Amino acid sequence: MLGITVERGKIVEWLKKEGDSVEKGEIIFIVEVEKATTEVESPATGILAKILVGEGVEVPVLTVVGVITEPGEELPAKYREPEVLAGEEKAEGEATSSATPEAKASAAPRAVGGAVKAMPAARNLARSKGIDLEAITGTGPGGTILVRDVEAALKGASRPAQKVSTLAARLAEKEGVSLEGIQGSGVRGRVMRADVEARIQKEAAPGLGKVIPMSTMRKVIARRMSESASTAPHIYFFTDIAMDPILDFRKEILPDFEKKYGLRPSINDFLIKAVAMNILEFPILNATVKEEEIHILPEVNVCLAVALSDGLIVPAIANADRAGLVDITKQRKDLVDRALAGRLSIEELERGTFTISSLAQYDITYFTAILNPPQSGILTVGKTREELTPEKGDIKVVKVATFGLGVDHRIVDGAVAADFLQNLKAKLERPMFTFLNL
Amino acid sequence: MREITYAQALNEALRECMKEDERVILLGEDIGKYGGIFQVTAGLLHEFGDKRVIDTPISEAAFVGASVGAALTGMRPVAEIMFIDFTTVCMDMIINQMAKMHYMFGGRGKVPMVLRTNIGAGRGAAAQHSQSFHALYVHIPGLLVAAPSTPYDAKGLLTEAIKNENPVIFVEHKKLYVEKGPVPEESYSIPFGKADIKREGKDLTIVATHALVLRSLRAAEEVAKEGIDVEIIDPRTLTPLDKDTILKSVEKTGRLLVADEGHKTCGVAAEISAIVAEEGIYSLRAPVQRVCSPDTPVPFSPPLEQSYIPDEKNLIPAIRRLMEYT
Repeated sequence: MLGITVERGKIVEWLKKEGDSVEKGEIIFIVEVEKATTEVESPATGILAKILVGEGVEVPVLTVVGVITEPGEELPAKYREPEVLAGEEKAEGEATSSATPEAKASAAPRAVGGAVKAMPAARNLARSKGIDLEAITGTGPGGTILVRDVEAALKGASRPAQKVSTLAARLAEKEGVSLEGIQGSGVRGRVMRADVEARIQKEAAPGLGKVIPMSTMRKVIARRMSESASTAPHIYFFTDIAMDPILDFRKEILPDFEKKYGLRPSINDFLIKAVAMNILEFPILNATVKEEEIHILPEVNVCLAVALSDGLIVPAIANADRAGLVDITKQRKDLVDRALAGRLSIEELERGTFTISSLAQYDITYFTAILNPPQSGILTVGKTREELTPEKGDIKVVKVATFGLGVDHRIVDGAVAADFLQNLKAKLERPMFTFLNL
Repeated sequence: MREITYAQALNEALRECMKEDERVILLGEDIGKYGGIFQVTAGLLHEFGDKRVIDTPISEAAFVGASVGAALTGMRPVAEIMFIDFTTVCMDMIINQMAKMHYMFGGRGKVPMVLRTNIGAGRGAAAQHSQSFHALYVHIPGLLVAAPSTPYDAKGLLTEAIKNENPVIFVEHKKLYVEKGPVPEESYSIPFGKADIKREGKDLTIVATHALVLRSLRAAEEVAKEGIDVEIIDPRTLTPLDKDTILKSVEKTGRLLVADEGHKTCGVAAEISAIVAEEGIYSLRAPVQRVCSPDTPVPFSPPLEQSYIPDEKNLIPAIRRLMEYT
């Protein structure tokens, strides 16, 4: 229902081998979906009879990746040959690469049909070999993917999984270097320590004149941002908000708050709460466009953009409208920590309904942002600066920040957006009243 | 082996069956003295007499109805309708009587009759004497539909049709009557529902009927020069249809062209394409192609008629289109 639609996942690691017995609820593999890795639990107790999709292979969600049988039960005939089709009715105890029930439901048709033009025989071959059609360039009429294109891709992909020496792996991990695309110099292409050192040196070289393969995260960001920019017509609104009241308010309650809850709410936490409450007055900003319908979403889950060394991730604080400041502070801290560690769940990434992006720590006065699809509103926060302002014949120094609101003009008009931003301004400038009932 | 024409092969089948079984009688317009419009019954009146070779009045409903009655009461009539176009005037007899009796009497009555007729354009016979709507009868449960393409198949299938306990629409092709081919002198029958692989190949499958078999064979020789290896499947009977042979061939080649002289819409080619889509989709390496007659009446003007008839000029480009998916 909510948020991003997960389309494909890559199995990073199988924690069990074929023939191992597994307990229901035990972690059996780790899947990388879009920007996150998730541990997947066994849906049943039994024997992991067959692994259908190996490590490093990206497949559409709902693809059956393995079969768990009862002890003594024979592997069903259809799994003896690798001819499993996505979206097929599932036998009991199959593990799929889909992480959430929501993702399953929304992604099913995509996995079966898809926009890729491929001949049925080619499609079938790709499925049976666990090859992603989207990664294949069709050479048939109109770019249709033919059997020979899949065969070519198979040849390309059929080199054995990358072999890495322990030392090389350790070094790569320590230095945060990706092993992707490294040609190993060891026996049968084994990646040796020297290869990793060479890559480190190369990456340390001045940044010009090199080709960098996109990471999975970068690909997702690229795809989603261009999709958003090309489908949702963005319009932007800016207003200056006096920050003294909220800063003073925070300062005032901080000692007691810390003593009582052991937490230090940041300005962002107040902001998240204020935005969530504001959304309740303007539910259209908590909506998503589905063809010719506007779906006003039932929960208010406010996302906070978190910058990472190699990208950007946007986890969502759940039910921010109903959550108290304590809860919001806890959630925000936990989500940011795990975002930096790369350990967010799909649900935390998908449930967002509105995004806040803050560059307050930079010397940026104000900025625009691309909507986080399929959301319809994004709030940007610039630095807090000092300004002189006339007051009762005198001149006073006030702290001011410029807030920006970007909306999807398909469903949010200028007047509504302006109202939303003005209303938010009023909330932040009168914090006592705003947070009265917390 | 000696070679005789398709018409002579049919004539032989009739003669042999009449000799063997006195219940076999022939009814039709001008089939006696004149020997039939395509000379398929030539000499049979002289040999078997006018009790068994009956020149009927020009009333298809009457003599097809009479044949249904005769068959129900123990005879084995073979009726000839000059052109399939004329079966429209006895549609009730064919569809409501001939096809239904066995079923409606709970199996206690049977209709072991053959209705011989022919399809095909190319004789300048215009829109009412050149049609190829044999698919109509494939659509009707209760009828068997034979579609011989060679003299050998014509003799064997007609013998089987006469001996079969069910009503058979025996669809000949008027451009094939003069085609010669090897035919054994002794009597033989070809079982229904067994397709014949007329040419083995590995690159693409043509399922062809009637004259399209010959035309496909010629097209196959032409494209063989470009290295394209065509397999040609002739179903020989459309009801029952040998799906297995078709699916197996498509599984091997991955490319399907269906060639039938009927109109393209709702025709035999449409049916075979649908079967492959339902049961063999994952074999398809290329979109299915159909070569059929256009969805228009058959033109009388000779140049227009030539352009209308599906043949090598349509088959070869269709083969090339399929091979673009290589």
